[in-house]
Amino acid sequence: MSDAPLNESLRYRLRFSTSGPLAFISVLELSTVWERTLRRAQIPLRYSQGFNPRPKLQFAAPLPTGCGGEAELLDCWLESPLEPAHFATQLAGQLPPGLAVAEIRHVPEGDDALNEQLQAARYVALLRTPDVAMVQARVADFLAQKTHLRPRRGRRHRGKSYDLRALVQDLSVEPTAPWISLHMQLQARPGATGRPDEVLEALQLRQELQRCIRLALLGPH
Amino acid sequence: MAEGPTHSPIPWETLEALLHRVQKPARYVGGEFNAVIKDWDAMPLHVCLAFPDLYELGMSNFALQIFYDLLNRRSDTLAERAYLPAPDMNAALRAAHLPLYTLESYRPVAAFDLLAISTAYEQLYTNLLEFLDLAGLPVESTARDERHPLVIGGGHGAFNPEPLADFVDAFVIGEGEAVLEELVTALLAIPAADRETQLDALVALPGVYVPRRYRPIYAADGRFQALEPRDAHTPARITKRILPQLPPTPVRQLVPNVDTVHNRAVIELQRGCSNGCRFCQAGIITRPIRERPPAEVLADVRAVTDATGYEEVALLSLSSADYTDIAALLEALQTAYASEHISFSLPSLRLDAFSVELADALSQGRRSGFTFAPEAATDALRARINKNIRTETVLEVAEMVFTRGWRTVKLYFMIGLPGESDEDVQEIVELAHQILRIGRQARGRKVEVHVSVNTFVPKPHTVFQWEPLADEETVLRRQAILQQGLRARGLRLAWHDYAESQLEALLARGDRRLAPVVKRAWELGARFDAWDEWRNPAAWEQAIAESGLDVAAYVGRRYAISEPLPWEHLDSGVNLRYLQEDYMRSQRGELLPDCRVQCHGCGILQHYASLQEECWQCPTRP
Repeated sequence: MSDAPLNESLRYRLRFSTSGPLAFISVLELSTVWERTLRRAQIPLRYSQGFNPRPKLQFAAPLPTGCGGEAELLDCWLESPLEPAHFATQLAGQLPPGLAVAEIRHVPEGDDALNEQLQAARYVALLRTPDVAMVQARVADFLAQKTHLRPRRGRRHRGKSYDLRALVQDLSVEPTAPWISLHMQLQARPGATGRPDEVLEALQLRQELQRCIRLALLGPH
Repeated sequence: MAEGPTHSPIPWETLEALLHRVQKPARYVGGEFNAVIKDWDAMPLHVCLAFPDLYELGMSNFALQIFYDLLNRRSDTLAERAYLPAPDMNAALRAAHLPLYTLESYRPVAAFDLLAISTAYEQLYTNLLEFLDLAGLPVESTARDERHPLVIGGGHGAFNPEPLADFVDAFVIGEGEAVLEELVTALLAIPAADRETQLDALVALPGVYVPRRYRPIYAADGRFQALEPRDAHTPARITKRILPQLPPTPVRQLVPNVDTVHNRAVIELQRGCSNGCRFCQAGIITRPIRERPPAEVLADVRAVTDATGYEEVALLSLSSADYTDIAALLEALQTAYASEHISFSLPSLRLDAFSVELADALSQGRRSGFTFAPEAATDALRARINKNIRTETVLEVAEMVFTRGWRTVKLYFMIGLPGESDEDVQEIVELAHQILRIGRQARGRKVEVHVSVNTFVPKPHTVFQWEPLADEETVLRRQAILQQGLRARGLRLAWHDYAESQLEALLARGDRRLAPVVKRAWELGARFDAWDEWRNPAAWEQAIAESGLDVAAYVGRRYAISEPLPWEHLDSGVNLRYLQEDYMRSQRGELLPDCRVQCHGCGILQHYASLQEECWQCPTRP
């Protein structure tokens, strides 16, 4: 399979962005939005077998609800070949507001799943507070800690905690206008993924959030 | 309309900051595929279409979808949508001093010329007041004028709108498609009119009811006597409007970005129902039956799925299996769409082998739960309510359902029905156990039987409109019979609190004196009356106590057949005499066959004789 020419591969990678209304949907809902968008565009999706056939769609990493993405990745598998340029043409006019596609290309069918290739993600949180010094001080405090334990989410993990500090690879403040930019680079490995809203909680800045954007996914090529 | 600073759209940045602090924020941002954004300033008339409950419910209301399509097709009208936010978003908006806004342009609801709001069922009434208030509008219609939107109600609840008479400027009685267009045209003709002139124009439209133009009269003993027009231009009776044939299916249906109650494409297969169940309001007020021709359904599925990307299409009707040639239609649909991963769903199937065959063909191996509604457990009681099935058929159908691979059967029953005894309710227990046994023989230990029990609520315009709501003691006793009898493994029981049914009955049958009670309950914090987590029975109790109204006189009493009823000025097109005769038949335990087999002369044909030439008559079954 890996010897086949790349342009014959029926696995396609879409680089896309979400913003505005679409930043506020959950990852499951984003999957449905994509499925219906691809159906409207008459893309020949490959469906699973069985009683409840589903198209094969794989995201690199779930976007937290409330967070937009500037360079998200989606792999999809087709039933028959389609030139990436034609793919893009068919999608035009079928995308809901807030969804945009930057690039479509073939990837080898045998490549690792996107989420296995992912190492880290970069985010920016725009904060409404005018107090840059306060934000800087909290960031410095956080970075000075060796560990920062936070309760794990979800019923299954009740009473358990994890070390958020270990997942934060980089954290910096930039006094942009009209909102302060808090840049984060967070680890994103299966079972060890940092969430931007958790960082904001840890910094007690959640109430100041104006907008959150995932700028880049690090790892997949 | 005067455009002040409060009428400009709320900036996205303002909303965005708010949305990080509420649950399910995507309900409040719009952005659905196929949402229509028009130039506000280029449109002479602005309509806000509203459903006063959560987005997930409101988006599933097909009437609003039809109106949205219809009004936005016009070159002179813009239609946007608004729903009632959940309490957390409501509080966030109020804290930020922001008004309720529409999802297309984020413009305040108060900026619109017309607010068409659904009054589909009684549990929406306090929400309607909350909706107006959150929009910054006075809740009482007399406190509003031409600077505020005209508030128009419609939907099944409009067939007795008296409890809302103080708040809504006008109600559309019956099908809104034609009326809304006429209403919009009438308002466009009088752009600078004051509120009274606007109401004059509405009173002149057939099917429009303007409560303020009527005066209620009560007898010395407090009973409702009549509703009198205040002037000679106001009609004494308002006959519901219908369309001679089903409206074109909206093709560019809204595709929500978040999950909703009915998250799929909808094609209205038929309106009306021929079964004649005596408790059923929809069965009367949606008469006559109109079917969408099969060729049209086939073409609509193509057009709607292309325009939406939906993977499921619901064929909407009150009783799908009654549609002429339903089997042939489904076969044609499945042949045509099998390779496209489109599935079809049929709501409201009948309790017979034919319906199981239909569901079997549709479900393609997915077998979650099979739902049917025997309503009562004995042949005699079913004859009283005109549910024409026999217990042996129920058992045969249950066996068929289990044999075909379903593991869960959901059964809907009512208690508190006219003529019901404790023994009839005990029979629900026996029937559920029998069905469970049948299931276990067919499928083993894992089968489940879910029993859902509603308390019968007498509804206006039905054959049972004169009947009382059963008293609390009776209902609790009968619920206890079910709770004790349905405890076994594999059985599940759901029921309603008596207070919920009592409130529903009170609002369903109430006259104008209920309006201040609705307002007071709302002031005391009642809203989301259909939601267990949010409803506020204490507020209602206090409001009713303060009003001094005799609840029993409204809900717990059998009305005399000659007694004036608060909804009599609204004509469903079905003759009162027909309802009275069928009420008598019920007392004699007589069944009335499906009117596709034999016409019983309910009056609907005569009422709309002038429309008949165009194309329709009641369908018949050979």
